[in-house]
Amino acid sequence: MKYIKKDLGSYNLHLINTNKYKTVTMKIVFHSPIKKEDITKRNVLSDILLQSCKKYQSKREMIIESENLYALDIYNNIQRYGNYSMFSFTLQVLNDRYTEDDNLEKSIEFLSEILCNPDISNNAFKKDKLSIVKNNTEVVLSSLKEDPVGYSQMRLYEAFDKEGPISYRMAGYKEDLSKITKENLYTYYKNMIENDYVDIFIAGDFDNVKIVSIIKKYFKFRKIKKRKINYELDIRKCRKRRLFAKEKCEASQSKLAIACPISKMSTYEKNYPLVLANIIFGGSADSKLFKNVREKNSLCYTINSSVSKLDNLMTIKAGIDKDNFNKTVEVITKTLDDMKKGKFTDKDINIAKELYKSYIMSIEEDPMRIINEYLSMEIVDMDSYNERIEIMDKVKKRDIIKVFKKINMDTIFLLEGDIK
Amino acid sequence: MKEIELTSLDIKLYTEKLDNGLEVYMLPYKDKKKYFISYATRYGSDVLKFDVDGEEYAPPLGVAHYLEHKLFEEESGIDPFTFFSESGTDGNASTSYDYTQYICYGTKKFDENLRYLVQFVNRPYFTDENVLKEKGIISEEIKMYNDIPDYKLEIKLREMIYNSLSRKYDIAGTIDEINKITKEDLYKCYNSFYVPNNMFILIVGNFDCKSAINIIKEELDSKISVNLPKIHNVNENDKVNKKELIIKEDIEVPKIGIGLKVPSKNLKLNDVELDLYLNMITTILFGSSSEFRERVRVEELLNDIYSEWESTDNFKTFYLYATSKYPDKLVEEINYEFDNLSVTTTAFNRIKKVWIANEVKTVDNVYRMENNVYDDIISYGKPIANRVELIRNMDIKVLRNLIKKIKFDNRCILKMYSKDKKKL
Repeated sequence: MKYIKKDLGSYNLHLINTNKYKTVTMKIVFHSPIKKEDITKRNVLSDILLQSCKKYQSKREMIIESENLYALDIYNNIQRYGNYSMFSFTLQVLNDRYTEDDNLEKSIEFLSEILCNPDISNNAFKKDKLSIVKNNTEVVLSSLKEDPVGYSQMRLYEAFDKEGPISYRMAGYKEDLSKITKENLYTYYKNMIENDYVDIFIAGDFDNVKIVSIIKKYFKFRKIKKRKINYELDIRKCRKRRLFAKEKCEASQSKLAIACPISKMSTYEKNYPLVLANIIFGGSADSKLFKNVREKNSLCYTINSSVSKLDNLMTIKAGIDKDNFNKTVEVITKTLDDMKKGKFTDKDINIAKELYKSYIMSIEEDPMRIINEYLSMEIVDMDSYNERIEIMDKVKKRDIIKVFKKINMDTIFLLEGDIK
Repeated sequence: MKEIELTSLDIKLYTEKLDNGLEVYMLPYKDKKKYFISYATRYGSDVLKFDVDGEEYAPPLGVAHYLEHKLFEEESGIDPFTFFSESGTDGNASTSYDYTQYICYGTKKFDENLRYLVQFVNRPYFTDENVLKEKGIISEEIKMYNDIPDYKLEIKLREMIYNSLSRKYDIAGTIDEINKITKEDLYKCYNSFYVPNNMFILIVGNFDCKSAINIIKEELDSKISVNLPKIHNVNENDKVNKKELIIKEDIEVPKIGIGLKVPSKNLKLNDVELDLYLNMITTILFGSSSEFRERVRVEELLNDIYSEWESTDNFKTFYLYATSKYPDKLVEEINYEFDNLSVTTTAFNRIKKVWIANEVKTVDNVYRMENNVYDDIISYGKPIANRVELIRNMDIKVLRNLIKKIKFDNRCILKMYSKDKKKL
């Protein structure tokens, strides 16, 4: 595999050459500092671009064209990376070897038609298309509780920090949805194309000279852009006393979610010992939480922890019976305290290191993951992934204890199911 | 070892059958780092009643899934997850209607992990105490699924389609039923169905076939094939159990479920081709590039849709689930499609092209490939090596003939509304 990054002025082009795949994968990412009031608009924009474009006036025409281009796939996605909203479109298509000459170029042109040549008249998107997307968005916003795990996490973050980006609902807000018009949506689109910082990644087996000229031909952004603010959220101090928040719902299982802010850590600590600490604590089927809460006490079926480096936060999630709430929190607290006291073995550390290695080694199996890895490296200070394995191997137990001491339980949320 | 070329996909499959009946399927990749091993038994929640020592035996519902959980119990106290994790390998298991599988996937220590996988599955250790311990865990698993509206929709729809078949029950059983399960139940089911002639191993990814076969033989050659018990099948009516039903749940936007039950005995196509043609019908009718989808999109009648086919011994069943603010209108549109069924050559050929492209794309992904081969083994008894050719050779005349033979009115319609009257 070979990686080259080219600065094309108005965007970075990342070329990842590998002959491991029968497909070529391309991802275009628009970075913008996140604004709460724009979240819904950005979601609607992402969806309306896939309803029609100048060249394909209906979604059906668009899909039929994608089928004719040997079933290419296009995925749209919006994700928060710390202080930023990342708006992306991903194209995956069979290599020309399996289709016909120029199928890849036609596919890239197709993506560019969708993104750069939207279905606009009189400086506005089409009314009927906007109505379809708004209706879909409204249904999504009405049905958030149908995913109780996601819902409880969202409510946890809202309790944890009322103001900050961590509390923003990435699905959007109904009150903002009603404010979107076909005109202001187009203004937002122009603003995004004009001002968002852009990365384009492409992974697969292709000729670099040819692919650069194709991408230059179909993706032209005029302005040179800079990233204005840090991706990483400010560190939040842990409350002196834990905050408990609760909401009732009609369910037989309750969802427990706990926010644990991480105090100041060095880049090394975040990229290495913290990763191991999380795997040991709740990041695998062999974790301490899994063993203590599920296997020893039969309190749950699912339990895990995850870490967001950009948010400086660890989140613990479990599905429990509401009668076991106190007991579960007690076991989790005890488990975290034990970690701070160093009650884990060298074997636990080695297992975590092996799981990490396996994770790193399997990145190359999937072009989407390779691309996301290079995207992360644009945002977070990280070593190349070959170097990471070596550095990780040298992490000592004392480093891991040190990071555990910087993780504290702050807000505990229970989505309480009241059906017996 | 037999070598089978998967046509048009540049990849070869190797198979071997041990004297005791255990089947081994291997799909090695040269350029991948990961491997994926599945050790499976053709036993799942479909078996409701069978003979043990000459007597009829009907274990509590959910026993196959319970058994899957408990096989991870080891007398040594070493957890299989821990063993696998030591080499950065993940382990897992799953139970379905017609199989239970134990899997591990990783990048290292292939030999050790393969050996361990087949060892621990062949080393049941059930005690009163460890069986009791699992009740809390599985109860939470059952509750977790039962809280999901889409899951309730599926279970209800299954009850409407089938009158007696096992497919009307939740694979995991119910909390009342699992509370009855004892270690004796687990041993009876284990000893009856976890036998080499009812099991297979599938390996995909980065590994060496010869050493895999050697390990499997070392570990399992000495196992003796055992006659499978007589399974008592239930009689299932050709017709759907209930045509229409409305239920109310804690949701905001209504959902619908539609089931089409097709008795497959007299359709005169082999199973693989029958599945392809049936899938073609519903893809043309309801797929993303169908006229139906464009119409309901423009009329804002559809927010979400998902559909699939299911196979049982005597039936092919189509499930369609959708979310809509206007469920009555949407159902009318779906009914219209079934009642005015027509297929065009253009759509037919386009879908064929899409399917062939998707077959090639799948090869890139070890997991998806594993999944496809696995499904083939479960559904057809063997991997289908020439699927691309079968798709290429599909004939619209055969499709039109098949359409004539199917009773498309053998359907049921389930509507799920909000409990709250103020909502939709």
